[in-house]
Amino acid sequence: MKATLGIFALAVGASCAGVGIFVLVMGLVTHDERQLVVGRRFLFGVLAAAAVAAGAMEWALVTHDYSLKYVAENNARATPLLFTVSGLWAALEGSILLWALVLGGYLAFMAHRFRARAADPLVAWANVVGLTVALFFFALMLGPANPFRRLSTAPPDGRGPNALLQNHPLMAFHPPLLYMGLVGFTVPFAFAIGALVTGRFGEGWLEDTRRSTLFAWGCLSVGIILGAWWSYEVLGWGGFWAWDPVENAALLPWLTATAFLHSVIVQERRGMLRVWNLSLVLSTFCLTILATFLTRSGVLNSVHSFTTSGIGPWLLVFLAIVAAIGVGLIAWRGDRLRAPGRIDAPISRESAFLVNNLLFAGLAFVVLLGTVYPLLAEAFQGHQLSVGEPYFNRMATPLGIALLFFMAVAPALPWRATSAAVLRRRLLVPAYAGGATMLIAVALGTRSVTALLAFGLAAFAVAGVVRQFGAGVLARRRAEREQWTRVLPRTVASNPRLYGGLVVHLGVVCIALALASFGTFTAKRDVTLARGQSATVSGYRVTYLGSTNHKGSQDTTIKARVDVHHGGSDLGVYAPAIKIFPNTAEGIGTPSVRTGWLRDVYLTVVSSPNQRGPVTIGVRINAMVLWLWVGGGVIALGTAIALGPRLRRTIRRPVERVLPPPVEPQPSEEPEAVPV
Amino acid sequence: MTRRDALAWGGVAALVVAALVWAAWPSSGPPTAAQRAHELATELRCPDCQALSVADSPSSSARAILVDLQRRAAAGQSDAAIRRVYVDRYGESILLKPSSSGFGILVWALPVVAVALGLAGLGFAFARWRRQPRLAATPADETLVERVRTG
Amino acid sequence: MRHPARWAALGVGVVVAVLAIVLATQVGTNPQAETERSQLVGKRAPTFSVHAFDGQTLSSQSLAGKPVLVNFWNSWCIPCQQELPSLLQFEQRHAGDTSFVLLGVVRDDTTDAARQYAAAEGMTWELAADPGSSLALAFGTRGQPETYAISPSGVIAGAQIGPTSVGNLETLLAAARTVR
Repeated sequence: MKATLGIFALAVGASCAGVGIFVLVMGLVTHDERQLVVGRRFLFGVLAAAAVAAGAMEWALVTHDYSLKYVAENNARATPLLFTVSGLWAALEGSILLWALVLGGYLAFMAHRFRARAADPLVAWANVVGLTVALFFFALMLGPANPFRRLSTAPPDGRGPNALLQNHPLMAFHPPLLYMGLVGFTVPFAFAIGALVTGRFGEGWLEDTRRSTLFAWGCLSVGIILGAWWSYEVLGWGGFWAWDPVENAALLPWLTATAFLHSVIVQERRGMLRVWNLSLVLSTFCLTILATFLTRSGVLNSVHSFTTSGIGPWLLVFLAIVAAIGVGLIAWRGDRLRAPGRIDAPISRESAFLVNNLLFAGLAFVVLLGTVYPLLAEAFQGHQLSVGEPYFNRMATPLGIALLFFMAVAPALPWRATSAAVLRRRLLVPAYAGGATMLIAVALGTRSVTALLAFGLAAFAVAGVVRQFGAGVLARRRAEREQWTRVLPRTVASNPRLYGGLVVHLGVVCIALALASFGTFTAKRDVTLARGQSATVSGYRVTYLGSTNHKGSQDTTIKARVDVHHGGSDLGVYAPAIKIFPNTAEGIGTPSVRTGWLRDVYLTVVSSPNQRGPVTIGVRINAMVLWLWVGGGVIALGTAIALGPRLRRTIRRPVERVLPPPVEPQPSEEPEAVPV
Repeated sequence: MTRRDALAWGGVAALVVAALVWAAWPSSGPPTAAQRAHELATELRCPDCQALSVADSPSSSARAILVDLQRRAAAGQSDAAIRRVYVDRYGESILLKPSSSGFGILVWALPVVAVALGLAGLGFAFARWRRQPRLAATPADETLVERVRTG
Repeated sequence: MRHPARWAALGVGVVVAVLAIVLATQVGTNPQAETERSQLVGKRAPTFSVHAFDGQTLSSQSLAGKPVLVNFWNSWCIPCQQELPSLLQFEQRHAGDTSFVLLGVVRDDTTDAARQYAAAEGMTWELAADPGSSLALAFGTRGQPETYAISPSGVIAGAQIGPTSVGNLETLLAAARTVR
């Protein structure tokens, strides 16, 4: 019953999309406005269909309906409710369903927001593109990735989700947020295609989609940070970013989207960088499809080892078509995309944004090349090679440092041109703060040049942000004579984009500081301890109390109890564990983490099922990891501020007449003819 | 830029250079065997993991490889020799850092070339923009404006 | 075609097309393929010296001149337990045959547990511990069970990654005998 409902909903969704595309295209070709208005309604149909299908799946999951293959594979009667509900996205078919649901939500938002302009060809083309993407995903679900496949005999109990997917509540939030980010870029993409097709690539489509893009970007940023947090807390290897292909796949659209968010400011102000902006938004959407392909097709080795299915070729063909259409449209419109203005001076905000675009594009290129290089190597020379963390760290770090520099400097640069006096007034004190911080960092023990530069540039950026906030607040106080408690919120509200962006930069600084500290001040050591023995790592004394060895039906879990002391105070007893699956060679470690403001104590256990006696415990004292998550929160806050409404000025004092009253011309006088 | 400005910025440069020089000052001699072993451990993939390095992996074979690396480094084997031993046993995919010979050289060279091309393009664009004359007011324009203002 | 945007678009289009073709050819191939084959087949076997459970020292020198089948196993891994009947059958079939040596090496397990298991299951061929996993590393093993066939001249003639069978063991033995 649920499967039938689900499939019916998917079929309705596909038809809505198909019919909607037909109606809208007919309306566009015959210039019939009524059809355009009607066609818009089908976007709501897509949302309704996706919602019913997702609802049917959740219903099946919550009621443990094992006649559905998907439920039998991803749910067990013993699965807690949170992980039952999040079972919707635990495997391939369900996650495509989630994608379709989020896409439906964005399309409905698009239809509602632009309801007054439904007859506008730009909006109509955007609707067509949105419906086409939706049609593709519904077709996937009706074809190779069907979530509602039935089993001929329903087993009494399901297999349950992968063990890794149900020991941390973050699993419930990371994929939906990631998808709200990735899918959200469909909206600016649709409008970009519309702009290219209708030839109206001025600034209208940017302004229309600004909030959607920013919202999607914020969700993607938080989604990626949550993924890193999950990796840290659950996977047990002590780090949070392994440059795994699936991690890179989500990072790539984030890089181009960040470049896009900055570059549009130049187009709004001066009408320039139009080709850049169109290319960036097209790339972002293509990279989201590439991300799905890399994650789901099994083409690359990854920690996210999803079961593969036949959707790889479908996604690849769709990606190729989208890329071809995008590149073709830009090539077709190339001559008309030339901007009227030009960059006047090398040191100006426009040129800083242009260099910013280049750096982000370069970083995206590095990540993309490193991720697909094993495939290229295999295709061209037969044997396999790996591209791992040392490569990405070596290549990405210089670009990251350069980006940090521009992040600190660009908000202080004026538009068009600058002078030495302005630069000095705005940047000198922050620069001294940066230099001083570098010296302090070396005194504290930093010896890596990149970490040192990161510390200095982070301080430079923070000082610049504080200066800018301060300047804005002081100016408003002088002008409006408001109380101190109200000046700051009102300053922010007077230009939420600027101040929200500055808060986001503060969040990035947090993350950069955390990354630099993590690399510099982390200590790790494996200690082999007999029961009752202690060892000291970096001032923390760990005492091994004993271990339990629990043989389950499918695995053996070894849990070691460890007492941690620091500087006299007892931090408690922690229990890292390792679960060894006898079918594979590797064990899955469950780390035990004590989070602190400046340092985390991260414990793992290395052991074999039959081991008695001394146990090897991996002790890591990780520095400043908490600030990665705090940075993520600050980024979310900044995005929320930037999405907020702008404070409208209320006229308190009427403006006095500044012009003299007009003089009535005497009839005898003739106005002088002014040569033009 | 005035002289005072130059001095002020010079102060910043001095701070930065001082910090960099202090940090990069060789405080110890050539890397010890333990340091070499650790460095190699970050470059080798743990054989029974997906993509974790030997340094990061908690598996027992990774620990065994770490001990082997320390033993070899202490015995004086060079980094290149140790890497070759592991490539012979496990294939080239055991190296997380692609070797810079053979096909692997492209993955290092292409990004550098791409970024260099991008910066060069930027330089050309700026040069071209600078050569285009900036619109400036001619004396005829000035008189015109004056006449409109006064008359 | 004079506008730079068109040239750039064309260039990007070419790169994307190459990428799509490469991805298309790789869909369906197994990225783990190389980890499922041994890299040492055809190369010289590593020299080793291990202490067997019965006390004697076995080294590549002492075993030279005969084909050697080296089987990496332990007492808790399920595929090892699954291949044990095949090993027992193979040993029975060649009972009394001293023209080759079957050597079992313990991988990732305690010696006590391995001894107990071997005694309980009646594993009568040569068994040795591998302290520090040095032999497991020397053979480039990634897990267990894995079986390697060494020719009398010390060349690795064949390898089986994963559980073996009687037919597979016979093939390995034949390969070891034929390689010079």
